[in-house]
Formats: sequence, C-alpha cells, structure tokens
Amino acid sequence: MEELNRGGFTFDLCSRNTLLEKTGLKMPGFLKTGTTIVGVVYKDGVVLGADTRATEGPIVADKNCEKIHYIADNIYCCGAGTAADTEMTTALISSKLKLHKLSTGKEPRVVTALTMLKQMLFKYQGHVSAALILGGIDINGPSLHTIYPHGSTDQLPYVTMGSGSLAAMAVFEAKYKTDMTRDEAIQLVAEAISSGVFNDLGSGSNVDVTVIAKEGVTVLRNYLTPNERKFRGPEYIFPIGTTPVLSKLVAPLSSKVIIEDVVMS
Amino acid sequence: MDLKLSPFPTLEKQMPIEHGRFEAYVDNGGTVLAVGGPDYCVIAGDTRMSDGGYGIQTRKYTKIFQLTDKCVLATSGMQADTLALQKRLKTMLSHYQKEHGKPMSTPAIAQFLSNTLYYKRFFPYYTFNIVAGIDEKGEGCAWTYDAVGSHERVKYASQGSGNQLVIPLLDNQVAKFNQQIIAGGNVTSQQAVSFVKDAITSAGERDIYTGDYADIVVVDKDGVHWEKFELKLD
Amino acid sequence: MESPEWMNNAVDLGTSIMAVEFDGGVVMGADSRTTTGAYIANRVTNKITPIHEKIYCCRSGSAADTQAISDYVRYYLEMHTSELCDDPDVKTAASLFQLLCYSNKNNLMAGIIVAGWDKHQGGSVYNISLGGSMVKQPFAIGGSGSTYIYGYCDSKFKPNMTKDECVEFVQNSLALAMFRDGSSGGVIRLCIIDKNGVERRMIPGNKLPRFWEG
Repeated sequence: MEELNRGGFTFDLCSRNTLLEKTGLKMPGFLKTGTTIVGVVYKDGVVLGADTRATEGPIVADKNCEKIHYIADNIYCCGAGTAADTEMTTALISSKLKLHKLSTGKEPRVVTALTMLKQMLFKYQGHVSAALILGGIDINGPSLHTIYPHGSTDQLPYVTMGSGSLAAMAVFEAKYKTDMTRDEAIQLVAEAISSGVFNDLGSGSNVDVTVIAKEGVTVLRNYLTPNERKFRGPEYIFPIGTTPVLSKLVAPLSSKVIIEDVVMS
Repeated sequence: MDLKLSPFPTLEKQMPIEHGRFEAYVDNGGTVLAVGGPDYCVIAGDTRMSDGGYGIQTRKYTKIFQLTDKCVLATSGMQADTLALQKRLKTMLSHYQKEHGKPMSTPAIAQFLSNTLYYKRFFPYYTFNIVAGIDEKGEGCAWTYDAVGSHERVKYASQGSGNQLVIPLLDNQVAKFNQQIIAGGNVTSQQAVSFVKDAITSAGERDIYTGDYADIVVVDKDGVHWEKFELKLD
Repeated sequence: MESPEWMNNAVDLGTSIMAVEFDGGVVMGADSRTTTGAYIANRVTNKITPIHEKIYCCRSGSAADTQAISDYVRYYLEMHTSELCDDPDVKTAASLFQLLCYSNKNNLMAGIIVAGWDKHQGGSVYNISLGGSMVKQPFAIGGSGSTYIYGYCDSKFKPNMTKDECVEFVQNSLALAMFRDGSSGGVIRLCIIDKNGVERRMIPGNKLPRFWEG
C-alpha cells in the first residue's frame, strides 16, 4: 500500500526537521502573532476585531501590526498564528476569490472563501499554522466562521481566537445579545479585544475594528489606543564627534560610473 | 538466502500520561536595575508577576526588598524562591544586628548574599539579584549576582527578562562606552531617577513580561525613598 | 496560561453520538461539544451533518478530518445522484465513507455513523469505525462518551421500537454519556429521518433527562 503513488503532499521534511531539532538544531524563530482576534454578528452585519501586537518569543516585534486582512469587498479575515502563514493564506485566497469572481461575474460568497481556506489548510495537515476568523456579508446575509490550522471550521454568532481568546470569550459569554445594533456590536468587540490586550501577555497595544455591513465596509484602524507611552525622559544628545572617525575618504561619483555613448549602426 | 534473527523493532517508548508534572522552577519574569552615583543609588523594578506563559498573576508584586537603611535587594526570577531568600536574609541580618549592635554594612551584605546563594549550589534559589545602596564611605554601590552566588561590584546593573533591552542603554548613558566626547559632569540623583524611569519604560514597551507599575527607590545618606511609577498595562 | 495549545492540538470532537433505526426511518443524536485540549471551542456544535436529502452522518474524532471526509462524500454522492437520476441509498453513502476511511486510515482520525432513509431499505444505520470497517446495525453508538453507555444501550434496546420510543432511547442514552464523559456535553441535537423528510430537534442543556447524580 505504502509504495502506491497516491499523489498529494509528503511531510517527510517536517518529520526530518523535528528529528534534527531533537539533535540540537534550532529552527529560526518565526514571527508569531500571539493574538486576540474576535468577531460578532449583529443585526445587519459583522464586526471583526483584533489587537495589534506581534511577538517573537518574549519580545514585542511590532507594536502596531494589522491582523484584519482583506479577502474581498464584502469579506474580511482576522489571522492568528505564524504571521507569514496568516498573511500568505489570506492573500492567496483573496486572489483566488478575485479570479473566481471574474469568471463567474458574481459577488463572492463567504462560504466560498471558507471552503477554499479549509481545503488549503487541510491539505497542509496543520503545518501551515493559520487560525482564522472569517466574516462577511453576501446574499445569505451576514455570517461568521472560525477556521483552525488543521482545516476544521465552525459557524457561530460570536467567536474568538488566539492566545487571548479565553479572555475575550469571557466578555462575550457575559455580554453578548442577539440582534445588537452596530454601535453595541463595536463596543462589545472593543471590550473583548481590550480584555485580551490587558490580560494576555501575547496581545497588546491597540484595538483594530472592521465593520462589514450591506452598505459597505468601515475599517476603524486603531479604534482604541489605550497604550501610549506614559513617560519619556529628556532627549539624549550626542554632539558631533561623539563617535570617533577612524578614516575618511571622499570619492567622486564619476570615478565609479562610466557613461558611454553607444552609436547605433 | 541468509536468514538472521534481528532484534525486535522497538517503537518509541510509550510514556504514561502525565498530568501537570511538578516543576521545581518557574520564571515569574520582570526587570530590575540599579545605577550607583557618587552619594546615592537608584534602584528600579517593575511590579508585574507572570505565570511563565502568557498570563499575569498579579500587577502589584514588589521586587525590591529593603534590607537596611543603606541597602536594598532587587530580585527577579522565581517569586517563591525570592520570598524564601528575603526571609532568610531578614532573619540573618536581625541576628547580626543583635550580636553586633549595629546593622550589617552594604559590602558585607553583598558578600553574605553570595554565601547564602552558594550554600544552595546544587538546588539553587532561582533568583537573579542586585544588591544596591551606599557603602561605609557613603558612596553609591551595586553588586550583581548569578543564581549560585557569583558576584561583582559594579557602577550599574540590570537583571531579569528585560535585561538585554536595558543593558545597552546603561552601557551608553552611564558608562559612556565608545564615546569620544563625554558631556556633563556628575549626574544628580534626580537625573538618574529620570533616566532609570526612561529605561524601565522602554523595557516595558518591548518585553512582554515587564509592565504594570514600577518601584523607583533612591538610597542616600538620609535613608531609603520609595516612589510608585506607572508603566503600561498591556 | 501556557502558550496557546490550540496551535498544536488538533480540534477534537470528544463526542457522544448515536443512531437508531425504527420501522420507516432513523433517529440520530449527538452532543454539541467541540474541544481543543481542555478548552471548549464550540458549545453548540452541529455534529449531525447532511450528506444528502435523507442521508445524514454523525461525526466523531478529528473535526478537520471528519469535515473533509463529509465534504468529499457529499460531493461524490451529488455527482452519483446526477448520473443515477434517483436518490442514492444509505448503503452507497456508507460505502463511500468506508472507502475514504479505509484507504486513508494512516492519516485519519474519524469514527462516523451514517444513517438515513431510502426506498429500498427504509431506515438504516451504518457504523464506520476508525479502521474503516462498515457494519450495518439496528442501532449504533460512537465517540468517547459511548464507552460509558454500552451496557445501558444493550439493556434498553429492543427491536421494533416506535419513533417516539427511539427518540426517548437516544435522549436518555446521550444524556447519560454526556454526564459521565468530560469531553461531551452542551445540548442534545436530534435528527429524525423518514420517507417524508427530516425533522431536527434540540434539547437545551438545562432540559436534559436526569438520572442519579450522586
């Protein structure tokens, strides 16, 4: 059975890598978005939310990154996990969906994006670590889905993901109501993200919100900025000459560039 | 064909399921630093205590412990070991006071801490310490340690999760490494406090284990002066 | 909290699922809990998935695997229907599940109960176990919670039950399984299929049948 060529992917290199890691080889650390991302369905749309911290181990690598990705004019997607994986998967599916739209001439549906994403992630058997929240509006109305790295999906009225998902879900379980207004939904999403920002060390900095309604999309980048720097000492002044000049050479540019006139015959 | 018996292929050893195995050590994170001046010493430490992962256990755990009127101990690492170490030092210093009728000097405390740490060489206190204050001459002084008692007297020091972020700043601004023109004379304690606040704020910007609040402590001939200072809560 | 475990852990349907046939149809039931480690990722999951108009399946094991398999079978069965110009048999659906589960057994974690109604057999229940075997049974239970209720089900099942008796049998069995099994819980979802169509029911967590709770 094993010798049969069935096509599909092999994951031999992945098992090789885990074996090498046991011998002491260190893989390069990837940029992870230890994250809080959330989504809520309200009366006539979807609100997505995300924090803006990206980490590399214990160090904050980016204090204001974007985690709500564009998929289509009516569909957006929050990403948690390895930053490169979430960015590339959403970009790939966004592009595939655009081609799909161009060939069918119809507005893309959320389930189409969902199916493309889950089939891609399932194909990679969890090695592409993208945990996503997909939200959008189409002819079936607003809808919200979660997609796990192994390719399983759920549809729910309110969802959270990332390392801050427990903190954010606590807020949703306490305060979610059906048929909220747009403003109530934004408020709830902001509160859920804030809960992740303050209580989860993997999440931090600002709150991004994106509202997808029938009338159109509102991107509220840095909707809340509750973490401005609180103290800054006097400026550090370094007079010219602080750093020693060991040697100095000024070369005219003309000596490095040769300009030739070529006469075309 | 040559048939040989080969050993039975051994699968990877099946381990029993372990439920929350006991861990003797956990790093509760946090950053402490100290800068010694001519007649004062400034010590700072954040007050966040994390669970070693992505969780905060408390936002108000003070990492700085006053030993005498002229000496404080700033500790990062494991909180439980820190408390045990503080308790031990406190009782021993009280014994010393009773025996000698005077508090132990800061340099003596520094040596005593080293002995205390080395005493547990094969089951160390998981603590990273700075002893700081003023010595018998009234000069600012600081000592840094590893977990088992290796120590060194320095002009400035930092330890803990934000150590790597703070050290270059101290090297540049306190030791003035690699600078041809060194402006300004002696740094006042107010200037040192302002600089230390900037340093720990910066550590809080980029280290996820440093934040919430900071204790800023100034030790001078008048005693130990405490100040609470706000950091970011995220 | 430790580093996010859902990053490495597959999403598991630690589950209690069940299906019983009666004269002219089937009753299917499932709990609604989806877990990643100790965290409940979804407390109102629908584990009874439509494969065709009158053929459904109960999923247990890896969420990703069972969803992918169901998607394939739904697609193949739709293609088959177009060629057949008639509704497919439950056995056909079950065989497709078996084909996928057996030939990919090294890479899958899926225990599936296929049930439904067709004009040849009436109501029928097929159990496709982890290794890809297929067994037709008058009733089937599955998932981690099922281990707690084998004895109960064997003692309470009797052939030729009415629809209502079957519904009660499923409700009671699942309630007992969900009570004992930590990775099952939430609500009970039911699906009753006969020649007239499909009826879906939901029993909320505070309205479950109750037994001795000492």
